[in-house]
Amino acid sequence: MTEEVVKLSNVWKIFGARAEEAMSAVKSEGLTKPQVLERFGCVVGVQDASFEVPRGEIFCIMGLSGSGKSTLVRHVNRLIEPTSGRIEILGRDISAMNARELRKVRAQQIGMVFQHMALMPHRSVRDNVAYPLEIRNVPKSKRWAVSDHVLGLVDLTGYEDRLPKELSGGMQQRVGIARALASDPEILLMDEPFSALDPLIRLQLQDQFKALVAQLQKTTLFITHDLDEAIRIGHRIAIMKDGIIVQIGTAEEIVMNPADDYVREFVQGISKLKLVKAHSIMGPLDKAPGPLGDAPRADAGADLDQLIDLSAETASPVVITANGVDVGYVDKTRLLRGIQGGKQ
Amino acid sequence: MSMTETPDAAQMDNGPVVTAASDIQVDHAALDASIETFTQENAGYYKRAFHRIHESTSVFPNTFNVWAALAGPFWAAARGVWGMFWTFLILEIIAWVQIGRGLWGNPGASLLEQAERQRARADEFLDRAEAAKAAGQDPDRFEKLATNIGRAADRSIEQATALNADALNIMLVGLGLLAAFKLIQGLYANIAYEKQYSKWRIDATSVESGFNRRRAGIGAALVAAIAPLTIYKFTVASPLAVLNEFPEKPISHSILGVENETLFTRLASWLEAKIDAAAVAGADVFDGVTAGVRSVLDALTLALNGTPWPVVMTVIVVTAWRAAGPRVAIFTAAALAYIALLGYWEIAMETVALVGAAVLICVVIGIPLGIWFGKSKRAYNAAEPILDLMQTLPAFVYLIPIIAFFGTGNPPGILATIIFGMPPVIRLTALGMRGVPENIKEAATAFGASRGQVLRDVEIPLALPSIMAGVNQTILMCLSMVVIISLIGGGGLGKTILESLQYAAKGPGLLGGFAILFVAMVMDRIVQGAFRQDGGR
Repeated sequence: MTEEVVKLSNVWKIFGARAEEAMSAVKSEGLTKPQVLERFGCVVGVQDASFEVPRGEIFCIMGLSGSGKSTLVRHVNRLIEPTSGRIEILGRDISAMNARELRKVRAQQIGMVFQHMALMPHRSVRDNVAYPLEIRNVPKSKRWAVSDHVLGLVDLTGYEDRLPKELSGGMQQRVGIARALASDPEILLMDEPFSALDPLIRLQLQDQFKALVAQLQKTTLFITHDLDEAIRIGHRIAIMKDGIIVQIGTAEEIVMNPADDYVREFVQGISKLKLVKAHSIMGPLDKAPGPLGDAPRADAGADLDQLIDLSAETASPVVITANGVDVGYVDKTRLLRGIQGGKQ
Repeated sequence: MSMTETPDAAQMDNGPVVTAASDIQVDHAALDASIETFTQENAGYYKRAFHRIHESTSVFPNTFNVWAALAGPFWAAARGVWGMFWTFLILEIIAWVQIGRGLWGNPGASLLEQAERQRARADEFLDRAEAAKAAGQDPDRFEKLATNIGRAADRSIEQATALNADALNIMLVGLGLLAAFKLIQGLYANIAYEKQYSKWRIDATSVESGFNRRRAGIGAALVAAIAPLTIYKFTVASPLAVLNEFPEKPISHSILGVENETLFTRLASWLEAKIDAAAVAGADVFDGVTAGVRSVLDALTLALNGTPWPVVMTVIVVTAWRAAGPRVAIFTAAALAYIALLGYWEIAMETVALVGAAVLICVVIGIPLGIWFGKSKRAYNAAEPILDLMQTLPAFVYLIPIIAFFGTGNPPGILATIIFGMPPVIRLTALGMRGVPENIKEAATAFGASRGQVLRDVEIPLALPSIMAGVNQTILMCLSMVVIISLIGGGGLGKTILESLQYAAKGPGLLGGFAILFVAMVMDRIVQGAFRQDGGR
């Protein structure tokens, strides 16, 4: 299925009293961000953002603090109104909805997880998880059954009647994830969910979350300031800087072909071994040195780690195959350059 | 540039030179230029003085400013050192007053006058003694009186001469004080001026600098306005009457042009007419308010005094037990026994009904207002001065308009109580609402909650501890009004206290006072216990 679940087209967000004026000036004169600030005293939060997220994809939005990523994601459930642009959820324009329709979409189709958990301290874990259902007037028996089920999904069975403050940070965030899953939404919005947790718990939750989303087939917008996390979790990654989406692509595309110096600086420290696949570093067969008859074979989807294993055993290049047909080769030079990050 | 490199190498690179702290030289030129800009006139002297202060290691640098000592406040004004100007203006006036009293004041004047009067009385009695003698009566009584008064007059004269002899001492003390103040000014002037210079360096636009003739003029004018009149008033034995009392009546007359009317009477009667007119115009509204308050009070009175007393007592004790535990319940039972045995039961319950009605109305109006103020910063800013006024205005001030608009009795008493008791619940509700974390509200909104649902499910529950603290404060404030409202006809225990006060009846007053104390303590304990349990849940 490649149906687009979330679609943003040319979304702008300008903060300030004269946002509308600034917007029209930007459209007619193409002002830059500092010019807008100088002329209208308005801050550009998101600048011309467009992307589509198909069903079941985890789409990571990566950027440093202040880059506008949290602002951007809040447009999807209209916690923030765009100054200009169009946002579609399952083919419906969310800006055109009235308050009642919007609340219905929020309650049924979008689940959200927050960086600081945002659990209600006066309600039990179960009642916190059941809150999205309570808003929709689901009867209590059904609410409790559903919340017990989703708490099981995040391994919190047995903690239903505790208060949030009795749980550790990692457990509280799992309650947050369970709450987002309770109304069985199409879309999950994750606003830096694991940033406040310590690294080990973060790793565990990342794996748990990835498995869960794969199992439940949720379309996910995942915000993070950690490129490692984005690479671990995301099918595709959007990199934001100063309100602008600088680059969108798979982890491999971004690491191998950074769009500008900013992205290049970011990906420098990333290990390429598991990320870069054979097809992106292989050379055409006709340029291969000498006969390749008894050379080792590897699939085009094999990563650098596997290629190193093969290459270390033999002096000849590794032949890359796709669907059983030889398509290219990787010699030691290409392999080492690939590890460096595609420097030719 | 690393620290290990030789100075030569560093200099060749034109990099920063690493210098030991002990080798650093003071850059006098830059400092001098800055001091010159600051002082403008007589810069050379102040450069030397400031250098001396900067180089001093003791708490009091050894500098003396002759001009500051001689000119005193005039110097401070000209240099813009206003703190020093005011301090030493007042101190010098004190010294001058002493000198003036010693020089031309007449400290024994009033005693001499007294002696003169006594002499006259003595003479009068002597005359009467003569007259009595002439009439053939016994002059003994008058003679004795005359000698006694004559002796008193002698004593007064003695005291007056002793006081006049003190005048020299007073003058010497004054001179000593003046010299000391001048000395202190001379010693302190440069230090104060250097401090001002340091401030000026930070903020050159608002800190005064330089020598300024206009400022010197202002200083002289201030001295002229304050010093002569003050010294005159304190030193002359019988100064002009106009200095003792503000000439309010002549000014009123000259403004109004009517003889037996002052600004005060004119304004007061105008206000009175306005209030009367408003009371007549709004009679329906005020009567409606009174009726509403009375219905709440009647319901509570019926519940507390209409119900048989054993039932009410049992309910109160059980409530105390459930809300605050056995110890408070035992205390409550003892307090109720005291109240009932001394015959206060009915009026104590009236007091509880009064306070209860006031608290109920405060909460019903105050919590919604607090929620509104918590959400709207602008509304809160507008209401804040009114809330301050409600709390700070002494109750006696608004009792009068309340009588004008609502008459006397229990309902107006409750209204006065509400004015005083409502602000805490409003304030603390607003505070609690503002303290609700933004992200929890956002989360509820993100899951599709409407504004009403956010208020019900998130904001009110999270603000509840603060709201409850506000309710508790309101209860205590309302209790404190119990005695005051008896002044406008409020009943209950306050009335018994007021009556005891009027007849200075110590016994009944004290017993009634304890009854109020017990009512207050029982209410406070029960409410606090209930909140504590609530908070722990």
